Amino acid sequence: MITLKNIERFYNTGLNKSWVLKNISFNLKKGEFLTIMGPSGSGKSTLLNIIGMLDKPDTGEYYFLDEPVHTFSEKRRTELHKHTIGFVFQAYHLIDELTVYENIEMPLLYRGVGKSERQSMVADLLDRFNIVGKKGLFPAQLSGGQQQLVGIARAIVGKPKLLLADEPTGNLHTSQGEMIMGLLKELHGEGMTIIQVTHNEKFAAYGTRVMQIEDGFVRMDTTT
Amino acid sequence: MFQNYLKIALRNLLKQKGLTAINVLGLSIGLACFSLFMLYAVNEFSYDRFHDKGDRTFRVLRWWEAGFAGRDEAGGDSYLPMPLGPALKTDFPDVEQFVRLREAWGENFVRANGEVSRAGVQFADPSFFEVFSFKIKYGSPSAALKDRYNVVLTEKMAQRLFGESNPTGKTLEIKLEDKFEPYTVAAVAENPPPNSTIQFDILGNFERLYTTKFGEGSLNNWNRSSLQTYVLLRPGSGLADNSKQLLGFYQKYYPDQKAALQKEGSWKGEGAPCSFRLQPLREMHAGMETWGENAAEVDPTGIWTLLAIAAGVLLIACINFTTLSIGRSAGRAKEVGVRKVIGGGRGQLVRQFLTESLLLSALSAVIGLAMAQALMPAFNEMADRTLSFSLRLYPEIGWLAVGLTLLVGLLAGSYPALVLSGFKPVEILKSKVRLGGANFFTKSLVTTQFVLSIGLAAATLIIVQQLHFMRSQNPGFQRENVVVVDASDTDSEKIYPRFRQLALQQPQVMGVASAELGLGEGTGWSQSGWAYQGKQKNVYEYFVDNHYMDVLGMQLLAGRNFDPKFATDTINSIIVNEAFLKDFGWTAETALGQKLEGYYEGSEKPLPVVVGVVKDFNFRPFKEEVKPQLFHQFSDYAPFKFFVRLQPGDPAPALAALKLAWASAESELPFKYSFLDENLDRFYESEARFSNIIGWAGGISIFLACLGLFGLAALAAANRTKEIGIRKVLGASLGGIVGLLSKDFLRLVALAILIAAPLAWYFMQKWLDDFAYRIELHWWQFLAAGAGAVAVAFLTVSFQSVKAALANPVESLRSE
Repeated sequence: MITLKNIERFYNTGLNKSWVLKNISFNLKKGEFLTIMGPSGSGKSTLLNIIGMLDKPDTGEYYFLDEPVHTFSEKRRTELHKHTIGFVFQAYHLIDELTVYENIEMPLLYRGVGKSERQSMVADLLDRFNIVGKKGLFPAQLSGGQQQLVGIARAIVGKPKLLLADEPTGNLHTSQGEMIMGLLKELHGEGMTIIQVTHNEKFAAYGTRVMQIEDGFVRMDTTT
Repeated sequence: MFQNYLKIALRNLLKQKGLTAINVLGLSIGLACFSLFMLYAVNEFSYDRFHDKGDRTFRVLRWWEAGFAGRDEAGGDSYLPMPLGPALKTDFPDVEQFVRLREAWGENFVRANGEVSRAGVQFADPSFFEVFSFKIKYGSPSAALKDRYNVVLTEKMAQRLFGESNPTGKTLEIKLEDKFEPYTVAAVAENPPPNSTIQFDILGNFERLYTTKFGEGSLNNWNRSSLQTYVLLRPGSGLADNSKQLLGFYQKYYPDQKAALQKEGSWKGEGAPCSFRLQPLREMHAGMETWGENAAEVDPTGIWTLLAIAAGVLLIACINFTTLSIGRSAGRAKEVGVRKVIGGGRGQLVRQFLTESLLLSALSAVIGLAMAQALMPAFNEMADRTLSFSLRLYPEIGWLAVGLTLLVGLLAGSYPALVLSGFKPVEILKSKVRLGGANFFTKSLVTTQFVLSIGLAAATLIIVQQLHFMRSQNPGFQRENVVVVDASDTDSEKIYPRFRQLALQQPQVMGVASAELGLGEGTGWSQSGWAYQGKQKNVYEYFVDNHYMDVLGMQLLAGRNFDPKFATDTINSIIVNEAFLKDFGWTAETALGQKLEGYYEGSEKPLPVVVGVVKDFNFRPFKEEVKPQLFHQFSDYAPFKFFVRLQPGDPAPALAALKLAWASAESELPFKYSFLDENLDRFYESEARFSNIIGWAGGISIFLACLGLFGLAALAAANRTKEIGIRKVLGASLGGIVGLLSKDFLRLVALAILIAAPLAWYFMQKWLDDFAYRIELHWWQFLAAGAGAVAVAFLTVSFQSVKAALANPVESLRSE
């Protein structure tokens, strides 16, 4: 599903190059659940942004569903990303001015999905995540775990091919974190391809494959 | 989708109540201000457009080329001789119809239901209602002026004279020349629209004038020009543009004029000095200026100046929106990032932000229009108009209002929309973008605001000073405590001696004098010209009596005043002013005894002889230089104005006594008076109006600029909370922090002063150049305006900075 070849990212600091990502190459098959681990500043978030098409590598090739994303214009990249990728953030990043229902509906609006279809898609998710009673609330009225639940609902409402989660449990208590990870595992069980970034060894184990990154290099890549 | 934009916009506006209030308030004031000025401009440019045949109706002008009588510019004169209209119709098949209009010069006496009052009576050819589209309320247009003794009243006049709206068929007596005669009210017309140059109260049949003294002298006289003439051309006629044909026509009726003017020395050019021109109706009000000095005419540059000022005020309000939105962008950045990540395109985000600004401008437009509506009476008084937001009168204001709202929304919202939608989500999510600081663009906008408002403040200060200067300047006579009695159109020669005798019996009356013309009224002068020793001289002439100089407190420099002891005084003695001496190259000593050679061309009358010299006095606005004047009391004059000097104090008892004195001298006609100083102040009405408007615009713009500054300072303080906290922990004082936060803004205001001062200097210098008597510009005027702006700006900013500096640093640092 994803092929990265010699992906590199660097800054020019005076005469030297300062590497953020160096020589990253790997394949990810459909239905895998990859966990990327590594210390702060190791480049894992940058890698995730490149895979999520929010950022561009300086060199290297990136194929998504066999399409050469690295040759795409920004507009085309945005278009591809809009239809195929869902994002979950550590800080949830819900829109404060929108209700739970409206937050989940937002991506569908941007895709131009019709009204009745939108309603049924959002209702399905509210139902499934057990938050129907909260659909009229604003993010500030929810607990962290509930906010992240909405974040995940928003990420998958458009039925993306790939779900990216950047430390989805980083701001949560352990019990809430476990709830979220359980949900991700359930999604994976239904066939969703997932990449998560985390510091937490225990949550890393939810995935089917763990990749260790340090100073921009892949140190270890193990599939269980 | 749009619904969603609207929802978010609303919630965002409600969330930031303070900033929304500042934005809405600012934009509403700006829009209220602009819409009033726009309405004013629309009204000025809408003059005379309501006539159905307006596109082929023209006013005839006598057009003098540049160079005639030493004038720099060509110009038209709309007062024309009586035979012109019929001659145009006879000579040009293209002329379908003509209308001659004799305006009311002064007021006539009219008697209705046994009561006499004064009212303006005009006379027009019966074709008036065929050519122009004035609506008839009662009666028919064709029969309105059918008979010589028919009159048409406006609704207003019908109400005033008869107390009812339909007096058709009733009789109205009008005093024309020296006797009252009955006229029949044949029709009642709707009041002429306020945006019509042609205004009338009572309209008589022009043919009635044929049998008056005036008519007999004018009927076939091409050298007596006192009427306006309008022509209706046949559809498709090119006569208006055919200057050759018009010149041929002119020369047919004035065959010797060029030679005569050349001989006299007032025309040195090769071609013809003069011709007729046809001026389109809709150019009468704000088109070219004519020499005839029609009261309603305005200078189009004045209208554009006012519109530009209003646009400046609106711009300041728009800038507030822009700078505050940018200042707030830190708070919106996260939202932009998230939206982009979940699939929002840049175009969609731009639309979202524009929806927000459009919503705001629509809201402000509603409030602004309500404000404008509420301010309309005050504005009308200030602008001397009767404006209203009437779609019937001004059909264009509908789309102008919608267009303005859209324009303001786009103008204010587009820059923030472009900036905010351009954020890169990765950078925001990594919080790499340093937001909220005042960038160069914001700084330039704030500086622009203050340049505009300081400029307007300085201009106001200078205009007010010039106005005060003109009003307080000694005009060369004592203008206070003088009552002017209007005796025009009466048997004033009989009334005056009796009135004077009775008035002088009152202890409060210090003196009574008479003259043919008033002072300080639009047409209160007459000019005569003749060739003196081969040179063309133009002099203002005054017919006065021997008490005039004393009563008005004028100062004789040489010679003597008129005196009944000298029999020659009523034949050929004259008194001249200093400007006259200068024009004729005399001194006060050599002037006495001089004769005005050439004054009576081809007549045996004894030439006027100078017997006295009077100090220059300003009987015209201070805008103009004192012109050469001469005074005489030749026996053929009529004392149409009585000047009564009173003791200082309450004039009421004296006025009551004067009224009695008038009544005993003239039992039938009503007493009418005014105060001299008030008449003179009318000269400065337009300047006073202008300074009022500029003053308000200046005040409002400073207020709006400070409103924006207030918001910006709040945002700056909020964005620097952490910095302030750290500084306080490290030991910074309150004053230090207030200084830190205020410095940046005050620097911008100082820069604005440096830019505004020379600009204001330049424009005010140009404005003052129009005045013959004017104040000088001083650097302190600009300093005062600037210092005012700095003080207000500092107060505004320091309110916010003190608040920020007093906050507990522990709070601000913990939240980071």
